[in-house]
Amino acid sequence: MLNVAGELSGDSWGIFTFLCAALCNLPALPALNCTEELGPGHSIQKTYDLTRYLEHQLRTLAGTYLNYLGPPFNEPDFNPPRLARAERVPSATVDLELWRGLTDNARLAANYRAYSRVLCSLRALDAQGTAELRHRLGHFCSSLQGLVLSIAGVMSSLGYPLPAGPPAQPPAQAGAAATNDFLKKMDDFWLLKELQTWLWRSAKDFNRLKKKVPPAVVTLRMEARGF
Amino acid sequence: SQSHSPTPGAPTWPRPPQPPLHCGYNLPSMQCLLPPSLCVSIADPAVISPQDPTLLIGSSLVATCTVSPDFHLGAEDLYWTLNGRRLPAASYATLGPTTLSVALAHLNGSKQQSGDNLVCHSRDGGILAGSCLYVGLPPEKPVNISCWSKNMKDLTCKWAPGTEGETFLHTNYTLKYKLRWYGRDNTCQEYHTAGPYSCHIPKDLALFTPYEIWVEASNRLGVAVSDVVMLDILDVVTTDPPPDVHVSRVGDLEDQLSVRWSSPPALKDFLFQAKYQIQYRVEDSSEWKVVDDVGNQTSCRLAGLRPGTVYFVQVRCNPFGIYGSKKAGIWSDWSIPTAASTPRSERAAGGCDPKGGEQNTTLRRELKQFFGWVKKHAYGCSNLGIKLYDQWRVWLQKSHKARNQVGKEPFTLLSLPWGGQWGAGGGLCGARTRWLRGAPFISAGASRR
Repeated sequence: MLNVAGELSGDSWGIFTFLCAALCNLPALPALNCTEELGPGHSIQKTYDLTRYLEHQLRTLAGTYLNYLGPPFNEPDFNPPRLARAERVPSATVDLELWRGLTDNARLAANYRAYSRVLCSLRALDAQGTAELRHRLGHFCSSLQGLVLSIAGVMSSLGYPLPAGPPAQPPAQAGAAATNDFLKKMDDFWLLKELQTWLWRSAKDFNRLKKKVPPAVVTLRMEARGF
Repeated sequence: SQSHSPTPGAPTWPRPPQPPLHCGYNLPSMQCLLPPSLCVSIADPAVISPQDPTLLIGSSLVATCTVSPDFHLGAEDLYWTLNGRRLPAASYATLGPTTLSVALAHLNGSKQQSGDNLVCHSRDGGILAGSCLYVGLPPEKPVNISCWSKNMKDLTCKWAPGTEGETFLHTNYTLKYKLRWYGRDNTCQEYHTAGPYSCHIPKDLALFTPYEIWVEASNRLGVAVSDVVMLDILDVVTTDPPPDVHVSRVGDLEDQLSVRWSSPPALKDFLFQAKYQIQYRVEDSSEWKVVDDVGNQTSCRLAGLRPGTVYFVQVRCNPFGIYGSKKAGIWSDWSIPTAASTPRSERAAGGCDPKGGEQNTTLRRELKQFFGWVKKHAYGCSNLGIKLYDQWRVWLQKSHKARNQVGKEPFTLLSLPWGGQWGAGGGLCGARTRWLRGAPFISAGASRR
């Protein structure tokens, strides 16, 4: 409590002191960024739209890539065995009750992890295809990168931490990586199929999130500095 | 469940009906649904030999499929497919209780560059193993290497593959270069800058010493090296198109346009002997006229043009004799077309004189009515009509321009170019000709057939 000689009454001094103290401590407080941005609801909508767009783009990309792999990979009812090997991407398929019960954080984190891994795997895809294929792949990866960033944006606007670090490599199992070209083709097939499933699922995930978060909200974003 | 309309050649993607049987390790536990006892770690069901071979077109192959003992399948339960098509049982041979072979003769080039898919199936269609066959030819020598340097700063080269190109197998091209009397080979890094068979060397280029340049083509079956091309950067210089192209009229002259441009800035200080070329065309034609002998001036006058016409003009530059090189450089791209129009001639017949136009409209209307009446009441006048009148007017314009019949009757009915038409009609509309002679637009000299 400051002891200042003066004519102010005790109450006013109290308030004044408090304000001084507050001002002095302000740099250490979390900076309050009052932004009039459209808030997480808007980002969720954008992310949803992006998944629909990617789903559309994937159809063309998958068509081109599977034609490059050749029959039977590009046949409509092709369904090869999915051998138990190191999966490059966590599966989108999940029990319904489990899915319903996911917290928002878990839901978003699952999406974020999945697409980060897909992005890594797509970038390592066979770059030997035709120029058209390489071009489509490059374009798709850019869009997918946008989706990953969009999900990250939603997570941070809701105050959730991003899943830690770059995607961990699956533990090396004996013969886990594709040891021959045909197995590699099957891996690529399943990668694209799993990506398709994820995009279907994400649309539902983001629809669900949309309902929980109001669309246009003035948010106070708390940025922790020095904490 | 949702169904997608298939695009041609693209697979349709059915929704997965139930979760696939697999064990996820490294996954969040919520996603590994099944108790571990139900998840069996499956070793490769079968092994094919040879695995992913590379073969010459026309060669033969015997492949074997050996099933893992865990699967309790015998050779009789197996069959083969190649690129999705079942291979005939006649080509199979049983080599052991769990080994089936297939003989493939006179192989054609691979259907896709990722390899032909030779697959060993169990009786119910399930895939046990696969092998990718790469069938093709060794690469051919790349040919027709040509290079150019933009403003002496870089070098871009392009080439053509030998024969029709990729010999069923993916072919890698590497452009290499070295200074003629120095040892080190360099490899070009930036490919596909000017088409699929091209490469760009962006820096560290030396002048005044020739380069040796060649292209290596390699695929799974071998390597082929092109002939070495020797060139001096200064002999293959090109530059940007001339900027600031302006096309303007020359006073009132109706058949001329003046073209001005600037020297390309990058080589401005060196282009003492630059050559320029102009090409121009009329708006609605695709045929360009080229003016070759422009020299190194930065302006030119086009003559002999049509009055009242819009022209498109382009200019390009050749950095001829740069740094004393005796050779021509390479022509730049054409500048973006600039448009201008020649003044309209006042004396052309049928010009846009409004008074004359009005007269013409009234006259035409009257004529149409007249011809309609004539057709109804005269016989053999089927050819008479407003079209004929128009043809006559065109002919009149042309003959006025020729100006060599001053004083003469501009026409006689007989001298009209379509005299035959009249003849076919059985003479000039029969007895009514006399009437026609008196009509105001036909001169008094009209003679009758």
